[in-house]
This record gives sequence, C-alpha cells and structure tokens, in this order.
Amino acid sequence: MAGINEAKYMLGESVRMLKSGKVSNLISVIIMGFSLLVLVIYILVTLNVSIIIEKGMEEMCVYVYLEDGVNNSITEDIREKLLEIESVRRVVFVSKDKALEKFREQLGKNSDILEELGANPLPDAFRIQMKPESNASVAMEKIAQAATGWKGVDDVRYGKKWVEKGEKLVKGFYMTGLALGLIVFLSVIFVISNTVRLSILSRRESVEIMKLVGATNMYIQVPFIIEGAIQGIVSSLLAMALLWGVCSFAGRYLPGLGFFRFEGVIGFIILCAFLGSIGSFVAIRKFLKR
Amino acid sequence: MLVYEIMPGEKRIIAGVYHLSKVLGRHFALQDINFQLANGEFVFLVGPSGAGKSTLLRMMYMDDIPDSGQVIMGAHVSTMMKRRNIPRLRRRIGIVFQDFRLIEDRNVFENVALAMKVAGIGITEIKHEMTNILTRVGLYHKRYEFPGALSGGEQQRVAIARAVANKPAVLLADEPTGNLDPMVTRGILELLFKINSGGTAVLMATHDVELVKSFGQRIIYLQDGKIVKDKEMLFRGNLRESISNSRVDHRAKKFTEHSIGEDYDGKRGR
Repeated sequence: MAGINEAKYMLGESVRMLKSGKVSNLISVIIMGFSLLVLVIYILVTLNVSIIIEKGMEEMCVYVYLEDGVNNSITEDIREKLLEIESVRRVVFVSKDKALEKFREQLGKNSDILEELGANPLPDAFRIQMKPESNASVAMEKIAQAATGWKGVDDVRYGKKWVEKGEKLVKGFYMTGLALGLIVFLSVIFVISNTVRLSILSRRESVEIMKLVGATNMYIQVPFIIEGAIQGIVSSLLAMALLWGVCSFAGRYLPGLGFFRFEGVIGFIILCAFLGSIGSFVAIRKFLKR
Repeated sequence: MLVYEIMPGEKRIIAGVYHLSKVLGRHFALQDINFQLANGEFVFLVGPSGAGKSTLLRMMYMDDIPDSGQVIMGAHVSTMMKRRNIPRLRRRIGIVFQDFRLIEDRNVFENVALAMKVAGIGITEIKHEMTNILTRVGLYHKRYEFPGALSGGEQQRVAIARAVANKPAVLLADEPTGNLDPMVTRGILELLFKINSGGTAVLMATHDVELVKSFGQRIIYLQDGKIVKDKEMLFRGNLRESISNSRVDHRAKKFTEHSIGEDYDGKRGR
C-alpha cells in the first residue's frame, strides 16, 4: 500500500487537477450533464407513462348486471362467488339509484331528459376491479364466461376490444422503451468516455513526465479517478436540476407529472459518481498500458 | 546476496548493456551493443542523428525493451523486469532530455519536488533538500517562476535539478544541450560535471563531437546502431580522485545491492 505521504500527494494532485482544469472540467460537466439529462428525461417519461398505464389498467372493470328485482340473498351470493375468483381485486355494488345519480351527473345540464323516463331503467350491478398483475383480457373473459350462467345475472359486459388493444399498446410501449433506453444509455456512455479521453489527452504531457520521474500507475491514476467521480456527481446534479426545471415547466400542462423520489435522486448521483470514476479509470488505464 | 563495502576509489559496474539489439521498422536501430558504466564515471555517447542514441537510452531507463541482449541498471535486469517495478528504477536514476520536459503549469519548486513526491518523501524533507538542490543549479531565486518564464538554459537546469533530486547513482542525459546556444551549453556541461563530481555517474548523449573532445572523458561513438569506438577512460588518475569520497561509493553500493531480489519476488521498498 502507498504510504501516508503518497496518499497526501495524490490528494494534492487531485485538487491541483480540478483547479487547473477548471474550464475543461466545466465543459465536460456541461456535456455530461446534458447527456445525462436526456437519460433521466427518458427514464422519467417511461416511469410516468407506466404509472398512467397501470392506473388505466386498474380502471378496466367488468360489469355484472343483475336481473331486475333480485333479492338480497342472491345478490350476496353473487358477490361471494365473484370474490372467490383469483384475479379479482375488488367488488363494488352499484345500486340502480346510484347508477342513475352518476348518469345524471355525467349528463349535467341535459339531465332533464331522465325525467321523461319516469321509472329508473338502470339495473343493479357489480363493478369488478382486476388485480393489476393478472393478465387482464384472459381473466376478464373468464369472469364473463363464469358469471353469465349464474342465477340472478342478467348480463356481463366489459370492453373486450379495448382491453386487448390496451394490452398490445402497453407491450409495444415497453418494447420500444427498452430499445430506446438502450440507445440513449449507449450514447451517454459514448459521450462520457470521449469526454474523459479528451481530458486525459490534454494532460498527456504531464502524465508522461510523471512516468519518467518514477510515479507509480496508482499515483497517476488516483487523481483521474477522483476527478471522474466528482465530474459524475456534479453532472448528475446538473442533470437533476435541469430535469426539475423541465418538469416544473411541463407540470403546468401535464398535471400529475411525477418527479423522482428523493432516494431515486440520491441513488442516481451515487451511480453517476461510480460511473464517472470507472470511466476515468478505464480510460487512464488504457493510456498507461500503451 | 553479495554485500560488501565499496572501498573509496574502487570501481564497480553500476550499469551495463550486453549484446543489445533492437529492430525498429525493417532495420537494426541498435546492433550488438556492449558497454559498462562504473560508479562515478562520466561518459559521452556520441553519434549523428539517427545513430540510435535515444533508443539506447530508452532501453536503459526501460521505456522500451531490447529485442535481444539485456540491460542491467543497478539491480534491475531488463529481461526480468516487471512493469510495475519500472517506477522504482526511474526513481533511482535521473533522466534529462533535449526538450526539458517540464510541466508547464507548475513552478520550478513543484517541478523538482515532483520527483521526490512520487518517491514518497515527506514534505518537510523535500523543502529542506530543495534549498540545496536549487542552490546547486543556481535557480533558488527563481523557485516560484513557471517554466514559460525561464530561458532554455534555466529550464534545462530545472530538469537537471529534478533528475538529481533523489540522488541517483546514474544520470542519463539525451542531448541535454541540443536546444541551447554554445554559451549556455558550456554552463550545462559544467553543471553536469559538478553533479558527476558529487558521485553520480553520467551518460550524456550528443551529436556534437567537437564539443566533447576537449574534455578528455570517455567517449562511446555510435554509428548506424553500432558502437564504432569506445575510448575507455575508466582508470584515469584525476577521475579516481574526483570520486574518492566514501559517500559516492555508498550511493553506487545502494543502487547495485539494496534492491537485489525485489524485481523477482515482488517485494516493495524504496
């Protein structure tokens, strides 16, 4: 292991490096910050869309309409049978009065036409919510088939076509998202490794001189690794700050747009510090091996 | 391990090149080179450009490896040298170049101190030693200047100071006066002689035959990668006098013995 003196000098070299390369460091950090911004925007968009999709999937319901005038015990019977089905998350009873009220609400100003009807034409119903992890279209189909034959059940309905379309859409979204994410990630790596290479190239002479006077590889590498870690931290902070700005701007038009949680931000910064130091280490190692 | 005292005035081989050949491109850059360097010796390596002087020196500080033959520097043998031990060799020898190779954004003090820092020497000791070293090369008053503000001769003095900061047993100089005018050249040569009289063996490569003839030192003539003449001056009387203090020989002894074995078993130490 290196002695205390060497450790001190290596730290000194790191500080010197950060000070002397202020402008080039700033440029590197800006380039990396914006590359990372692209990455985090991508991640955030994916996250938000997948949250919306999940919510949408939750709202996909099966309606079991009951025959008119079914008594309470049969109603309870149906409820219990529905709850026994594995993929069912929640069963809500919607009475015909409630349904009418909702309908009236939806009609708003035009609700007057309902008065023409006299009696309430709507049936009692169960609204069934599915568990999010269950394969919705298959599970819904099953419920529909099972419940259609039950006593007291008039009809079972769900947006079959919509559910199937929705599922295809989600699959497509995740697949393109994965491909896109890979491309974004690779370009970020490419940009950062090039930035690191340039920074080493600009210090080629001092590295050569250090080798000539007998500096160990470690003595030469450590400052680069520290610089890489600091660049990673600063550029990830920059990316996060920019993203926050973008988000609060976009939030005006897209209410409910979510930002990363605090742990996510910290994790991202640590990851970037790690990536920065690894990137620098690999680049300087390659350079020293020549 | 052989350990014995070197008696004052005693000769000891501290660097040797044995049957060294190196091919660069399609022809021999160096062919069957043989010579030895004794402690406290001053040797000129003379030859026209392209004769292989720089290549030979690079083999000696192990920046490149011979295609055949070997180089022995103190206890370091090129054929058994591990990459990670090269820094240790470099700290024990000094190297000076035609183009000075100073770090532009560090002042004189920092440039010279670098050699000691990489060797892990404490800052108090560095500061203490630095006064001596910089006074010896006549640049103590310019210790806070940056290389850009110095003349060529001054820059070379800084490079020499850096090369001798760790009190090396051998100093390799590759055309140290190549970029300097005759007046300044004279001063640099005098400085190298002064360093030599302090006990460091000096091997100086130059293309300038006329310059070195007047000094009466040993001259190795190199042409087309071969040694064409080696004027041995090993046991000249005045040379013996100049190195007849015990400190000199202690340094050579340390260089040749203290590191024996560490290239082979991987032990660390300074």
